[in-house]
Amino acid sequence: MDESPRPPSDQSPPPPPPAQSHTGSPTDFLKGVVGKRVIVRLTSGVDYKGVLSCLDGFMNIALEQTEEHVNGVITNRYGDSFIRGNNVLYISAAEEI
Amino acid sequence: MDASVTGIQEPFDLIRLSLSERVFVKLRGDRQLTGILHAYDGHMNLIMSDVEETIMLVDPEGATNGRSVINVAKRKMEMLFVRGDGVILVSPPART
Repeated sequence: MDESPRPPSDQSPPPPPPAQSHTGSPTDFLKGVVGKRVIVRLTSGVDYKGVLSCLDGFMNIALEQTEEHVNGVITNRYGDSFIRGNNVLYISAAEEI
Repeated sequence: MDASVTGIQEPFDLIRLSLSERVFVKLRGDRQLTGILHAYDGHMNLIMSDVEETIMLVDPEGATNGRSVINVAKRKMEMLFVRGDGVILVSPPART
């Protein structure tokens, strides 16, 4: 039974809100980079640079204007490409989100 | 977003739009395929016909001054089932 109204507690102020631009879940990041230029690195070390069309829950990826880079050298170009998600190491934003 | 123009909402749409077209498939083990795509599923198991497989083989014996020789082997197959877990990348023909 809470008989008395609680006094305002100044002992523990709420933590300051974190900077907005650096918050969000991984999902928020992925939503943010759809339609943007990205670098997709595979576990093999090969990089794919292109515009992210879309992705799914397996992290399967559709890229447009894809360039394949191996050791920093362009080895292939594809208009569109589908990358099977299990090969993906990371997705890096290559422009401002 | 360009996806609204091209009608692609999920990555598999790219594959669906490539059915009956000649596609390029990059596989594990330095192999690649080109062939007509007939069917696929959620594992990316593929049925392809009129397939040419290209296998890149690094030959350490033939290495000269640190540059290893890469041999390319090719073979053709009429009809092929590709197990999905070997697939790295699929590229459809250029859309017009």
